[in-house]
Parts: sequence; C-alpha cells; structure tokens
Amino acid sequence: MNAVIASSSIDGGIGCWDLQTGAEQLRYKTCASPPHGLTSVGCRFLACSQLRDPSATSGHLLYWSWSKPQAQVKSFPAEPIKPLIANSDGTYIVGGGSSGDIYIWEVATGRLLKKWHAHYRAITCLVFSEDDSLLISGSEDGCVRVWSLFMIFDDVRRQQVSHLYEYSFTEHTLRVTDIVIGYGGGNAIILSASEDRTCKVWSLSKGRLLRNVVFPSIIDAIAIDPGEHVFYAGSRDGKIYIAALNAESSPSDNYGLHIIGSLTDQSKPVTCLAYSAEGNLLLSGSEDGMIRVWDVKTQNITRMFRHSKGPVNNIVIVRLPYPLGRAESKSQPSSRKHELSLPPPLEKYANSTDEDMDNKAIVMLPDTIDLPSYLSSQLINDHIKQLQQQGSSAVAEMEVKRLKADCQRSVDMFQQLRKVYDNLQEFCVNELLDEQTMEGSKGN
Amino acid sequence: MYDVGLKPVMLRSLIRQYLPAENHPLNLNNSCFELPSLVSILQTHCLLSELDSQSIDPKLINTWKSAVDDWLSCLLSLLSSDMSDKCWVGICLLGVTCQECSNQRFLSSYSVWLNKLLSHIQPPADSQLVKIASYTSLADLLTRLARFPEVKKDGNLLAGKLVQPVLKLLNEDNVEAVWEGAANLLYALIAFFPASIHHYYDKVEAAIASKILSGKYRSKTLKKLGYCLALLPKAKGDKDSWSLMMQKILISINDHLNEAFQGVEEEAKSDEARRLLVPPGKDLPLPLGGASFKGTSSERLPTAIMSTLMFCCCKMLTSSYPVQVTVPVRSMLALVERLLRVDGSLPHTMLPFMTSVQQELICSELPVLHAYSLELLIAIIKGMRRQLLPHSAYIVRVVTRYFKRCSLPELRIKLYSIIRMLLVSMGVGIAIYLAPDVIENASNDLNSLGGEDTETSPANTGPATGALPQLGNRKRKHDAKTGSLEEKQDAPSPKGESNTHQMTPITVKIAALDTLEVLLTVGAASKSESWRSSIDSLLMKTAINSCKRGWGNLESNIFLPHESASVWADFQFSSLRALLTSFLAPARVRPAYLSQGLELFRRGKQEAGMKLAQFCAYALFALEVLIHPRALPLDDFYSACHKSTDGASNRFLENIYSGSQKQNTLFLSSMRRTEQGGVESHDDDLYDRWLQNENENQNKKENENIPVEDMKDRTSRPNDSSFTNVLEVREQEPAAANADVHIRTENEIVVQPWHLEESVPKSQEVASAKALMSPAVGTNPGGSEIESKTPLSASDRLNDTNHDMFSFVDKVDGFDNVAGKTSSTFPNAEKGSSSMVHLDSDSSMDSFPGIVDADPDTDSDSD
Repeated sequence: MNAVIASSSIDGGIGCWDLQTGAEQLRYKTCASPPHGLTSVGCRFLACSQLRDPSATSGHLLYWSWSKPQAQVKSFPAEPIKPLIANSDGTYIVGGGSSGDIYIWEVATGRLLKKWHAHYRAITCLVFSEDDSLLISGSEDGCVRVWSLFMIFDDVRRQQVSHLYEYSFTEHTLRVTDIVIGYGGGNAIILSASEDRTCKVWSLSKGRLLRNVVFPSIIDAIAIDPGEHVFYAGSRDGKIYIAALNAESSPSDNYGLHIIGSLTDQSKPVTCLAYSAEGNLLLSGSEDGMIRVWDVKTQNITRMFRHSKGPVNNIVIVRLPYPLGRAESKSQPSSRKHELSLPPPLEKYANSTDEDMDNKAIVMLPDTIDLPSYLSSQLINDHIKQLQQQGSSAVAEMEVKRLKADCQRSVDMFQQLRKVYDNLQEFCVNELLDEQTMEGSKGN
Repeated sequence: MYDVGLKPVMLRSLIRQYLPAENHPLNLNNSCFELPSLVSILQTHCLLSELDSQSIDPKLINTWKSAVDDWLSCLLSLLSSDMSDKCWVGICLLGVTCQECSNQRFLSSYSVWLNKLLSHIQPPADSQLVKIASYTSLADLLTRLARFPEVKKDGNLLAGKLVQPVLKLLNEDNVEAVWEGAANLLYALIAFFPASIHHYYDKVEAAIASKILSGKYRSKTLKKLGYCLALLPKAKGDKDSWSLMMQKILISINDHLNEAFQGVEEEAKSDEARRLLVPPGKDLPLPLGGASFKGTSSERLPTAIMSTLMFCCCKMLTSSYPVQVTVPVRSMLALVERLLRVDGSLPHTMLPFMTSVQQELICSELPVLHAYSLELLIAIIKGMRRQLLPHSAYIVRVVTRYFKRCSLPELRIKLYSIIRMLLVSMGVGIAIYLAPDVIENASNDLNSLGGEDTETSPANTGPATGALPQLGNRKRKHDAKTGSLEEKQDAPSPKGESNTHQMTPITVKIAALDTLEVLLTVGAASKSESWRSSIDSLLMKTAINSCKRGWGNLESNIFLPHESASVWADFQFSSLRALLTSFLAPARVRPAYLSQGLELFRRGKQEAGMKLAQFCAYALFALEVLIHPRALPLDDFYSACHKSTDGASNRFLENIYSGSQKQNTLFLSSMRRTEQGGVESHDDDLYDRWLQNENENQNKKENENIPVEDMKDRTSRPNDSSFTNVLEVREQEPAAANADVHIRTENEIVVQPWHLEESVPKSQEVASAKALMSPAVGTNPGGSEIESKTPLSASDRLNDTNHDMFSFVDKVDGFDNVAGKTSSTFPNAEKGSSSMVHLDSDSSMDSFPGIVDADPDTDSDSD
C-alpha cells in the first residue's frame, strides 16, 4: 500500500493515511519536526529529527516502528539536526546540522561513519541522487552542493583534493528551501527553490545553471513531474505554480516567464509537496494543517487529509510492502521479528574506541532462491558413462559381483554335468563289465 | 504424440522393454545403457504425472493410475533384489520418480520410499554405485518433499533419521565417489530441513572440515562439501553461528597462507591479517572442525584447501540467511589484498631462503588462488551491496593496483566484471573516480593486436579459456633446480607485462568493451570531458575493425567445443553495443562518428545473422531520437554558459582545472559580486544604477579585449546563427560564413587555437590561455576535451559578442547579458534593461537553428 505520512512543526504527531482509500492509519505520537526532517528508513521504520524551537541549541532524533504509536528509539546528536534523509534501502541516515556539518550514520549499528563541514550556515535540505551515490545539500547561505559519497569515504583521496564537493552552485542569494533531483543518473537535473523567490534548474552533468524561474512569491516546496515536463512550486501566497521544464511556454504567461499555470484552493501558504507517480497525484501540505491531494491532469482536488491545527511541513509517500495496522501484527508475529525490532540509537560522536566494529558490517544477506534441482537423471547418465568405459573401480566392483554370480552358476552347471558324466560312465563301465563277464563265461 | 490416452500405454511398454524382470538376469551391456533414453522419454512425455489438464475422463485416469502402480511395484521389486545392478536401476529410477510423479502419489508414499532407500545406505554395505545412487535419490526425495510446507514437521523427523548414516559414511568410508553422493544428500538436508541437523551441528562441521582440510580429493567433491559447510550455519539460524563459521574459515585460510607464502611475502603481512581476524584481547575460536588437522605434505601447496575454503566464503556471502549477520569485511578484503599482492617474485630480503623449486611451486599455483580471491571479492560486493560504501575506496585501490600487473586473460576478465559490478552498484559517484583506470586498461586491451589476427579461426581463442592450467606449464620453463635464484627472480613479472601488449584474446576484448559500455552508461555525463572523445574514437575503430571482414556466425559450429564457436560474433555484438552506448551517452558535442556508425548499423541490419541484425535494427531505432531530438532543450543559458564571464561555468572549470585559469579569478570575483547583487536587488533602483555603472567599467575592459574590426566582421554575417553546438560555431567563425554543420574532427580542434590567435590578436587573456594550452594541443592529436577547454572559453568570447550582435547592435556588452540573465526581473535601467526581458526568450531561441535566422537588425528593432 502507498502510505502518506505527514508531520508538523508543532506537536501534532505523525499522521498516516492510505493514499488509495483515504483511511487514516496509526498516528505516531510526539513529533515536532523541522522541514525535511521526516523520512522513512528503507520502508522499515520512520525516523524524524525533532526541533521544538528553531533557535534551540539541542535537538534529538526519534524512531517509530510502523506498528506502534510511541517513539521507540531516541538519539541525541551533537547538534540540532534539521534535514534528515535515508538512502533507498535504508542502510544510511544522513542528517544536516545547524552548524553546516553533515553527518552520516550507519543504521544497523548506529555508528557515526562520517561528519564533515559542508556549508557555512545551517543545512536546510538534503537529497540523494537516483542511485544513492551522490548527496545534494542546500543551505541557509544559499549554496547548493553536490557530494560523492565515494569521495567522502575515501580517506586517501580526501587529502589530495582542495575541496570535497563535486559541484558547488552559488547562484541563490538567500536560504535554499527545497531541492529535488530529476531522472537520468549522471545527466539528471537538480531543482532548487530559495527564499530569493527563484527556482533554479541545474545540470548535474554540466555542473551549471540551466534555467532560472522567478516567481511572484517565495517558494518553499517543489515537486517534479516524473516525465520532467513541468515542475510544481508551492508558494507562500498559497498557490502551487506549474512551471515548464520541457513543456513549451510562451513569454506572455501571467505569472512570469516559464510559469504556465497554477493550482489554487487556499490562501494559506503551501509548505510541502510530494508527487505520487503511481496515481499521478500531487500532494500539498499547507499552513492550515490540511493535506490536499490533487489530480494533476484535471487539476482538481480529489481528497483532503486533516493533519492538525498547525502547519504541515513534511509529506512523505512510502510504499509499504504489507498493510499497516493490527492485522499485520497478529498474522506474522514471528517471521517479522527482525523487521520489527528497531536498530540502536545513533551515536553522538564518531567512536574510534571500538575499532573492531570498523572492520565489520551488519548485513542482511541478499535473498537467493535456490530452485530445486534434481540429480537422479544426471546421476544415471554419469554412471552409465562409467559403466560403458568400464574404468572406475565402482563399476569394476559391480562387474566382479556379476562375474562371481556367473562363476557360481558355471560351477553349479559343471557339477551337474559332472554328475551326469559320472552316471554315464558308471553305466558304461557296468555295461562293459557285464559284457566281459558274459564273454568270459562263453569262453569258459 | 499429444494424445493423453497413449500415455499409460507408452508407460507399460516402457516397463516391458526396459525394466528387467525379477528372475531374469540383467544384461548390463544392453538394457542398462538404455536407461538415459528411458528417463528422457519419461520426462518429455510426463508419463508419471498422472495429470492432464484437458481430459478428465475417469477411465483414462484409472488406466494411467494402474500403469503407474505397475511401474512402482516393478521398481520396488527391483529395489529389493539382491543383485546390485538391478538394485541400482531401481534406486535411480525411484529418484526420477520422486521428481516426476504427481503430488498425491508423492505425499502418500514418500515415507515408504524413504525407508526403502534408507535400508540401502545402512550397513551391511552394498556396492558403491548402489550407495551413491541411493544417496542421490534420497536427496531428490527430500528436495521434492521440501516443496510441501504442510509436511514440514514430518519431513524434519524423517530427515533426522538420515543424518547419522551420512555422518557415519563421511567419517568411515574412504571412497571419494561415495562422499559425493553423501554431499548431495547433506546439501538437501541442510538446505531444506536445517532443523534436522541442529543436534549434530558440531559433528557435521567436523566431518566436512576434516574432508576439506585433508585436501586430497577432486575439486568437484571438495566444492560440494564446501557448499554444505557454507550452508551449515542455517541449521542454527542465529547471528553468532554464521559469524563464528566465517571467522573459523578465514582463520584457517590465513593459517594455510602463512605456511604457503613463507618467503614470498613480508612477515608483517601475516601478523596484520591475524590481528584483523582475531582482535587483540579476544579469544581465538576453536579451529575449523573442532580439532586441528595436520594435513598436506610439504611439497604441494594447499591450494585445493584454500580454494575450497574461499569458495565456501563466497557461498556464505551470497546465500540468504534468516537474520542479519556481522560480516568481517575488513579482514576479508585484507585477505583478498594479501593474495593479490603476492605475484611469485621474491622480496630481496628473502632471497637466500627460497629455492627455485619452492618459487616455481608457488607460481604454478598462484593463478588459481588469484582467481578465487577475485571470486571472493565479487561475492563481497554482491553480499554487502550498499553497505560496502565505507570500504569502496579500499576496494578500488586494490583492484586498480592489481589491474596494472594482471595479464592473465582469465583474471583480467574477472577484474573487468568486478569493475562493472562496482560501477553498477555504486553509480555515478564512483564512476568519476574509477574512469581513468578503466579507460587506461580498456584502451590498452583494445588497442593491442590479437583479435585481428585470429578472427578467421575462432578456434585460436581457445587458449583464453584454458589459460589457467597452461600457466603452470609456462612457468615451469624456468625449471632449473640448481640454478641460482638471482638470475631468475625477475623473470615472471616482465614476461607478464609484455604479454598484455603482444596479444589480447578476444574474450578479454569483449570484457573490456562491456566495461566501457557500462562506464559510458553510468558515468558519461559526469566529468567525462577528458576521456570522452578518445573513447568514442576507440569504440568506433573497434567496431569497424570487428565488422570489416564480414559478420560472425552465431550458430555454434558443431565441430568446435561450444564456447569458442561464437566468440567472434560475441565480439561484434559487444563492440556494436558499446558503440551505440557511446552515441547515446550524454555529451556536450554531437557524436563525432555518427555517420560511420549509422552506416555500420545499416549494413549489420541487412547482412548480419539474426541476433546482430536485430540489435542493429534496435540501434537505428534508438538513434533516431538523437537525430531528431524531441524534447525542447531546457537550457536557457546555452551560450551564456560558455562565456568566460559566466560565473557557473567558470567556477566549474576552475573546479576541474584549477591552476590553468588563474588569469580569470580577479575578473571572476568581481563578476560574482555583480550577479549576486543583481538578484538581491529586485526592487532597488539605486542598486541597479550602481550596478550599471560597475558594468560600464567592466565593459571597457571587455571592449579592450575584443577588437572592433572583428565585431564588424561578424555583423556582416547574417547566417551565422545555428547555435546548436558551440564547437560548430567555433568552426564557422574562422571558416566560411555560410558553412553548414560540420562534423568535428580532431584536426580542426588542433587548428582551432591558431585561428583564434589570428582573429583575436589583442586579447590578453586568450593569448595567455593559449600560451598555457596550445603546446599540449599541438602535440596531442587526440584532441581531448581538457585541452580544448581553455581555447574554447576564449573563443566563446567571440561567440558571446556575436550573440550580442543579434540582440542589440548598438551595444557591445557581454556583462549586461549575464547580469540580466541571472536576474531577468531587472527593472528599467538605461541601456541593458531595454533588452532584458528579451534576452531570455532570445537565448532560448538560440537553440533552434531555424528561428534565429532573422536579420540581426530586426532583432534589435523589436526591442
């Protein structure tokens, strides 16, 4: 099922709905998240950074398993983490700190693998590339940077280069509010929105700006159409603007160059967007606490979820392999045991004392399906070959047995014949003797 | 043939024809040899299935059922015969029956069959063949049984009965062939009924380990046993037993290596490996199998043992396991590195201690060990997937270092496949850094002779597949038992190196091509400027060479062994695929060899065999999009980006080629300020004015750089507007005004800078850039992108001014453009603003050759 999960900056918990039916699922308690702070870790559980107050000097991270409303694991990173993201199979969690540092944790052990100073000011958003090999970060200083994780983990190469990032895009002048990445691996486009009222389209392959779209108001959220025809920009004036990527646009558009239309229903600012490729649905969260589901073809609202009174600031669509709720926990209590137990909390500092763990990794080995293979017919062929060659000792042994039996039979037959012969001889001898005695008697 | 009614009849006649009657002695030489054909008839016609979807005629079902009943009673009577050959026939056929019979029949009678078979593996011992056959048939029975989850419990119970006889046999019997049968059964037990093993875990481990560690059996048997050992932890199914088993195996490999590599590696290596395996302060686990086995004679290396144990590691990593496990990645990688590091040459300190016999011995066994360590590396990558990331840099270093030395075709092919796996699993991020090594090695392999000479006789490539055993012989040529080592110690390595360049087997070339293909798909978009053009030309050359003497025959030649038959066609296929990828992979310039490539695909479509022709047709189809692009180009800053005044492109260049662009930095930093200021001041007229002033200052600077005559030259050219491609524009400028789209050739690139120098003699920057770059360009006919970059940005300044001519003739101002583009909302300022709004549409139109064909004057009029 496709679940929609949403959180808010003031405590309203994490709402969870089934996108197809609209039914509300469990509500996960006590969550006040900064924007981009909610993520699902490999669809196994939920993780969310917690920040009660934007200027707080400490924050924490919470994990919820899908089946329980209470947060089960609490971690205390070294500084408040705002954006939080996990890679697609949920092996790593990356968090952006308010000092501009980026942290990478290994989920299975909770170890802090790497931490590096990425930006001059707080990180505002983090995105993984399609293949999880690149990380894109946006910051309050207006900078968007592209990092290769391979480089981050290569201690030797790190020392040889002047900077760690692959690209650094500095054209935004104010805080970067949202980043999304398009399709196409190394040739993808990156879209970034900023408080300078622009959205910019960057080329990952060329490493430069492709398009600059200026909006009437500040854009806080963007979502990209999977076909990259257009992108959607949720603005503080309450509209969701549709801007052209590959779509044709005429210079006479109402809102400005490249903006070809808008979706409106509300006056409250749009704070977050998510796109569900499966149903071609656009989900928007707003400061009035509602989540609206738009059919992008008809541009109508098809559904509304009420989250809370406060502003919704995160929407994530998670594809769950099994339905949530009570039925699941009853039917497969034992087989899912390892999935339900959550990993340990994330470490605060890179812990170099446990060196042994550096050399190891906790891994779920890949599932392989062993097709049943039957051996008998192959065995027959092998053995027949051996028999034909008469070479192997096993065959010789069998042959010996057969020969022994033959031998026995021959011996038997020999005995029999011998007996016959003996009888015959005796008979003949007797005959002869009889004749002789008769002749003898004649001669006498 | 499809008539169901015939099936019972066929079965009965088979029974009559093939199965020996009870009292009739079996004639081994006749009826026995027909068994395979009997089995194949049974399987083809599903004679035992008792199932047909089409007919539900009860009469037919009954006749069929009774026929199968007869078949089984016949088998069972054979089974209980005291003649071992009859018995053997019965057991084998019962195994086939387990596989073929209907579900119902199997479920109702499996326990009877199992007990019958069980009686044959228990003493008093029967003949070997009967034993092997009954183990194998039991394995088949269990395999089938495992597919019915509802009888799992019963299955476990029955399987439990089998464990002890198997163990007894492994421990007591001395005949290798029987173990193989036992290994079959053991595999079925562990794989399908792990619970049955649970109580005997240690005993099974000890039994298998003793066989493996004795190391004197055929590798096939050892592999089977090794596989069983790898699966054994499943019997317990918890986290610790897997890790313990892995640790034990690694320690055992390590110990054998210490012994084997004495003298060919530094002592420190073995200590380090040990430290990784058993962290200081922790207890050493019991050795594999419980007790230590003192095995092999000293004259042979324990290669068989080590390779079996490594095979075991591979299987442990790639088989599924019910819970998460802790994998000692680091020590496994260290093991791989340690093995790959030893190449048979001696460290100088060791010289006096080694005899040439010992060295020979190691050299002859090394290829096998290297092959297995590469296999282990492959398994690590497969098993760890994403979690390998922290170790990926280490792996890349190990692989690239080994790549430089490795020359055996077999091993190179494996290395290429490792690189492909890394590229696919780690994506763009790793491709950027792995590319140089891949390019270097693949170019060497593809450029070397070899393929061309052997192309007419594919059989010549045979040695490629059989290279491993051959190496031993080759190395033995150094045989000189009394000779002094000093003369010989260097022999192996130079020989290896020269080998790479003499002749590369086609199979290696195929691997190289496939790897280039993957590199292009994953990493062509990112930072590929330095190698792209040379790879494109290499792939074109290879494809042309591969196809120049006609098309390979894909149908395997029945006179040749299977693999070597279609190798040439495979080579063609790989080269065409790589060529297509090189066309389709994202690039900044049009594919240079498109026309030749299209021609090649066209010919292939018409002339080649089925598979190749199909691929060529697909290639032509895929390339159509390249020729008629459908999507509108997203790039608004197409021409702007190539201006040296554009911040993004400059910084980008700076990132890559820092140093060569120093002359721009001052210039650049002022520019950066302008841009950012421009965006920040949406509503600030004052700021705009100030900005305008600054621009004016810079305009002067710019104007100094660009000679006025040049400008005039350009304005007089109306058709110079097809900006689809910067490089084309560059060519057009020095060339005739109405020139059409050229295909870029290497020569033109080389010539380019000199043209520029003529046309822009006063430009300080261009000149200085050239001073840096043009020698390199001149000497390197490859014309790679790095070298052309600086001249490019220089020429773009021309391009830039050229562009300005279209938008406003009265004003030659490159800076306004940029400022305007980054913030197109400029309110009115004097000069530049008049065209601001226009600029965006203008530059986006630049991308369509057709639209901007207008006269520059009209363009400026419309402002």
